[in-house]
Amino acid sequence: MASAVRQALALVLSGDRQLLNILGVTARMSITSSLAALLIGVPLGLLLAFCRFRGRQLLVILNRTLMGLPPVVCGLLCYMLFSGVGPFRSLKLMFTVELMILAQVILITPLIVGAMESGARPTAARLRETAGGLGLGLGRTYLLLLSECRYQVFSAYLLGFSRAIAEVGAVSMVGGAIAYKTNVMTTAIMNYTNMGNFSLGLALGLILLALSLLLNLGVTLLQRGLSK
Amino acid sequence: MKLAAFSKHYGDKPALDFPGLSLTPGQTWAVIGANGSGKSTLARCAAGLLRTDQGQPVRGPGCGCGYLPQETYPFRMRVLRNLLLNGDGPGARDRAEALLARLEIAPLAGQKAQRLSGGEAARMALARLLMRPYDLLILDEPTAAMDIRGTLLAEALVQDYRRETGCAVLWITHSLPQARRTADRVLFLCDGRVAEAGPADKLLAAPDSPALRQFLEFYTL
Repeated sequence: MASAVRQALALVLSGDRQLLNILGVTARMSITSSLAALLIGVPLGLLLAFCRFRGRQLLVILNRTLMGLPPVVCGLLCYMLFSGVGPFRSLKLMFTVELMILAQVILITPLIVGAMESGARPTAARLRETAGGLGLGLGRTYLLLLSECRYQVFSAYLLGFSRAIAEVGAVSMVGGAIAYKTNVMTTAIMNYTNMGNFSLGLALGLILLALSLLLNLGVTLLQRGLSK
Repeated sequence: MKLAAFSKHYGDKPALDFPGLSLTPGQTWAVIGANGSGKSTLARCAAGLLRTDQGQPVRGPGCGCGYLPQETYPFRMRVLRNLLLNGDGPGARDRAEALLARLEIAPLAGQKAQRLSGGEAARMALARLLMRPYDLLILDEPTAAMDIRGTLLAEALVQDYRRETGCAVLWITHSLPQARRTADRVLFLCDGRVAEAGPADKLLAAPDSPALRQFLEFYTL
């Protein structure tokens, strides 16, 4: 373990080109996919928490089912859609970061919808009654709910980002872990482990954890700043 | 203005069978009754926030309604901003400050609303509602969380608002002294039905229905 920590530090300090590339692809994929999933998932989650309509419960159950979608199944679906025999083959997205991002968005969005729906529901009921009593319009009430649930948005983002940065099944299937192109931290760890280089794999794992810790600290500070 | 007749069931359980009510502008109706008698259902249906069995609106078109729910929500912003949510125009800030002063919470104007005590939040919620003129004001136990001073201040403020705007008021309360102080007329609900309705003086002093007599007897215990 101690040698893994030393190796991780040495790797970071050496400015290894391959490591920097892996870090860059990982950051691009994780940040882009979690932000895209946030943009889709937050309004949908709030709508499910806020609106009362026939079929709402069915949508909640469907979303909760999708929350458990196995990453390899998601990867397989993307593979079938975008590979040489799939309907979207002309887009030539196989083994690109863009398709990895798309797969991540499919995986993460239900998590964010679910987190927002369950997090906002108690607030939504009271807020709807209060805002309705004041005669505020639906649009304004919805925006108020979004503002009231800003802390849940941060938590949902962290949940999505954590899933994106740690995911390996889907990204390895659609990305192929091509060095200097689609290799990310998790696929690199898998590759090093398969090659028997456990300490390098562990070192990358520690760097991954450190990145996650940094982001969590940043978001927590931002949350604190907003609550002042 | 008139509240239409309607009924409301929760699942198979009947909650309220309301025969309708004519409201005179400037008049205050106290709605009294035991827990589960249908008071809040009446308030929410009349406010348009709960669908009746018939699905028709209870209020006529053009009747603006302000409703203060039992469990009000302090928005996560400063107290003054909470009030300004329900008011715009050049005079809104002055009105908000005046309302806060009337309820003796002016020093809390810059404080975060979610840090208020229960009674302070209830005062703020009432002030927030009264930022705008309505034709009908529906208050669901607005002073339940307030101390006696807050209660009297709130009652005086609503009476002034009623005189100023000419609105009708439906005031749901568990306090008979409050009903006597604030209302011209009383509506007594029992088991989801209007058991008795009429002038407050007469109804609270000499009720006709055995149900109301029995209800009033509890207050002498």
